[in-house]
Amino acid sequence: MSAVLSTSGVSVSFGAVRALSEVDLEVREGQLVGLIGPNGAGKTTFIDAVTGFVPARGDIRLRDRDISGLPPHRRARLGLGRTWQTIELFDDLSVRENLAVAAQRSTLASGLGEVFLGLWHGEEQVAEDALDLLDLRHDADRMPSELPQGRRKLVGVARALAARPRLLLLDEPAAGLDSHESAELGERLRRVVDAGLPALLVDHDMSLVLGICDYVYVLDFGKLIARGTPEEVRNDPEVRAAYLGGSTADMASTADMASTDMLVTMPGSEATER
Amino acid sequence: MVLSPIVAFALIGLGSGGLIAGIGLGVVLSYRGGGVINLSAGVLAMLSGFCYWALDTGYFGITFPTGWAITLTIVFALVVGVVFEFGVVRPLRGQPPLAKLTATLGFFVSAQAAVVLGFGEEARPQPPILPSGIVSILGYTVPVSSFWIAGIVLAVTLLFVGAFRWSRFGLGTRAAAENEAYATLYGLSPNGLSLANTLLMSLAMGLVGLLGASIAEVDSSTLPLMIVPALAAATFGSLNSFTVTYIAGMLIGMAESVLIFFSSQSWFPTNGIGNPLPGVQELMIFVVLVVAMFFRAGKIPGRGDIVERRLPPAPRPRAPLKAAMKWVPLCAFLMWALPFGFREGLITSLIAAVSLLSLVVITGFVGQLSIVQLALAGVAGFTVSHFFINFGIGFPWAAIIGVLLATVVGLISGFPALRVRGVSLVVLTLAAAVAIENFGFTNSTWGASVTGSLVPAPSLFGFNFGPNASFHGIDGAEPSPLFGWFCLVVLTVIALWVCNLRRSRLGQEMLAVRANERAAAASGVNVRNVKLIGFAIAAAIAGVSGVLLAYSYGSITADSYDTLVAISLIAFIYICGITTVPGAIQGGLIYTGGLLAYAILDWFGLQGNWLNLLVGFLVIASLVLRPEGGATYLFYRSKRPASEVTS
Repeated sequence: MSAVLSTSGVSVSFGAVRALSEVDLEVREGQLVGLIGPNGAGKTTFIDAVTGFVPARGDIRLRDRDISGLPPHRRARLGLGRTWQTIELFDDLSVRENLAVAAQRSTLASGLGEVFLGLWHGEEQVAEDALDLLDLRHDADRMPSELPQGRRKLVGVARALAARPRLLLLDEPAAGLDSHESAELGERLRRVVDAGLPALLVDHDMSLVLGICDYVYVLDFGKLIARGTPEEVRNDPEVRAAYLGGSTADMASTADMASTDMLVTMPGSEATER
Repeated sequence: MVLSPIVAFALIGLGSGGLIAGIGLGVVLSYRGGGVINLSAGVLAMLSGFCYWALDTGYFGITFPTGWAITLTIVFALVVGVVFEFGVVRPLRGQPPLAKLTATLGFFVSAQAAVVLGFGEEARPQPPILPSGIVSILGYTVPVSSFWIAGIVLAVTLLFVGAFRWSRFGLGTRAAAENEAYATLYGLSPNGLSLANTLLMSLAMGLVGLLGASIAEVDSSTLPLMIVPALAAATFGSLNSFTVTYIAGMLIGMAESVLIFFSSQSWFPTNGIGNPLPGVQELMIFVVLVVAMFFRAGKIPGRGDIVERRLPPAPRPRAPLKAAMKWVPLCAFLMWALPFGFREGLITSLIAAVSLLSLVVITGFVGQLSIVQLALAGVAGFTVSHFFINFGIGFPWAAIIGVLLATVVGLISGFPALRVRGVSLVVLTLAAAVAIENFGFTNSTWGASVTGSLVPAPSLFGFNFGPNASFHGIDGAEPSPLFGWFCLVVLTVIALWVCNLRRSRLGQEMLAVRANERAAAASGVNVRNVKLIGFAIAAAIAGVSGVLLAYSYGSITADSYDTLVAISLIAFIYICGITTVPGAIQGGLIYTGGLLAYAILDWFGLQGNWLNLLVGFLVIASLVLRPEGGATYLFYRSKRPASEVTS
């Protein structure tokens, strides 16, 4: 299987703070890869680095193409889709329009042609498919502000899907969902990946990540401390030390609780993660 | 000695430098106290200036001795401060910076209209309160008052610095600016602090109004527009430092004065008919502001307000063609049937609606508030005029070239917007508008002399459809309905096109950029291109309105595209809805000089300025109550079924 995304030596510094150092990570065709770590470990920074929202050093390749110098929108057009921890929907556009913006591949010429000459494109079928996949058809004409948190998260995922990405980067899609919603989301993600779209999943919900991912990376203080199958990671002593210092049994049992992320959320760490 | 006149003129400039610095202090106080970019600081100074003039000269029937007049003016300044606090600052607390700024624009328009209604347009020679002597320095005479103004404003500056550094009030203000919520938790009252800051600000502005008397006449535009150099000075101080603002203000004033000296020299560039090139001062201030923004914009501190709201939503237009089929024939009929005054008002309304559509695109869709749009209209208008005068080229080529030129200038004005956002962009475009007006339009080579620049009536294949065309309305008078219909067709086409834009992919991308630039980029939207296209489109529409305006006047001056008019246009569109096409059209109808204005003049004998007086209040009321605007509310309220309120 070929690598869809491969990074080597990706490092990010904010002033004197080393947020990420020398991260090597790979997502292969057909894989759902998890990236876990305590708050402040640099998970979101990693997604920002890959998608071009923070300046990073190192090599980032999307299907063997070096994308590390490109601006964010170019990377998006090459097939990097992402969601945001803080959702970041277009609050002025309806749910359907949110998806449509992502679905369209407008160029300067096509954009002007459409506006000046009325050259309409049919409403994007891809956007409709994404609506169906995440069961959002009922909310399609609403404004994001009218939806509860959980559904807004789904709109964020649907928007990323609507762009027909070659790789999906999900930043804590399950945060704010209850355990039932979270499991359902997991199922849907698995289906998306099995249908041929590889994805990198960042989340606190251990049961979600370890339950559905093929391969898992563990990040702590900006460094990768472990990698392997969910089973290997679960039994890794260093991972256990990073998380609470608890035993595997603890992790397994807490994973079933709805509020797993409470246990790994340290007060005040939210700000450092951004 | 070559340097001596430069030094002397620099010293003369201490006077206006002091006024600029003083108004700059007001800007800084407003920002630190309530997060308001106060564009009406100069207007507050002007109000006090007029108050003092009226009391001192007995304009209201009683003549006060100077001491009493000063005291009463200070009291008046405080009263205005209270009005400003409760009318502008308090209602807008927690609104986004852009809304606060727009509210001060509303205050600007109202206060200016009040002064024009109360005192007329002409300047009032104010009796000076400072010693009027002169001193001789290096062989040049320098008025003593310049030193007094510089010194008094310096004292005020030091007073503010001390108060903010060492008093509990200053500490509280700083804390509240950092984080209102925490300040409240520690027992500080943001409202009390805000009131104290506003009063301090209005006191300072009152003082500037009094001092201004010594070096200039009081009129309705000089002090208000001094806000532009004052903003440049305050920007150097990051809207935070009194000292830097003072120094920068003084330097700007001195530089302006030295430029005046330079313009009297033989080597200074002339405008072709022997007069020195006008507007160089305004151009310098614009450049200074650009430099200040480049170095300091990132350092302007944000504010930790408790509440945050954004631009109103821009709903998808529903059945615009159907609406057009209903309204356009009615309007076409009225154009023929109405008596000439109403017809003229209607034409002005249609043209204003076109220029407001340009704001709908750039502010409503792209989210960039730009004051430069009317200046762009002027670029197109003067192009039409000069292509006829200089090359004998008339409609349609001159019009097309004018619109293209406006588009190019608009595109250039869009480049700073890639770096500068929100309120900073407003400040920058305000300075650009003033610079274009003074440097470009008052220059008789490119613009017009005070007597105006001729614009030929538009005609195609020998068929004249200008305001003076031979086909007259039902009352047999000019302006010709033909020209009205022409404007109506242009407005209809552009309005439908803007509706189309909102529904197109480009329009959706604009709103995506407006809502969230990061997420837009992550969705593959080229944020830079979308913004630039937005600026170009808005400039083209503004250019069309400028051409229509030029044709309707038949002769244009710099005043036709005045920056103060641009500010009132923004106020009108905010009331009606800056995010939608109906908002622009309604805004055009109620615009000064438009249909409604003529109607109240004809029926009640009230001038258009009464509308402007009202507009300021309406702006603030609509920002608080109906931020989406009256027309937008009326047109789109039924869209949401009741079921959507739940969930």
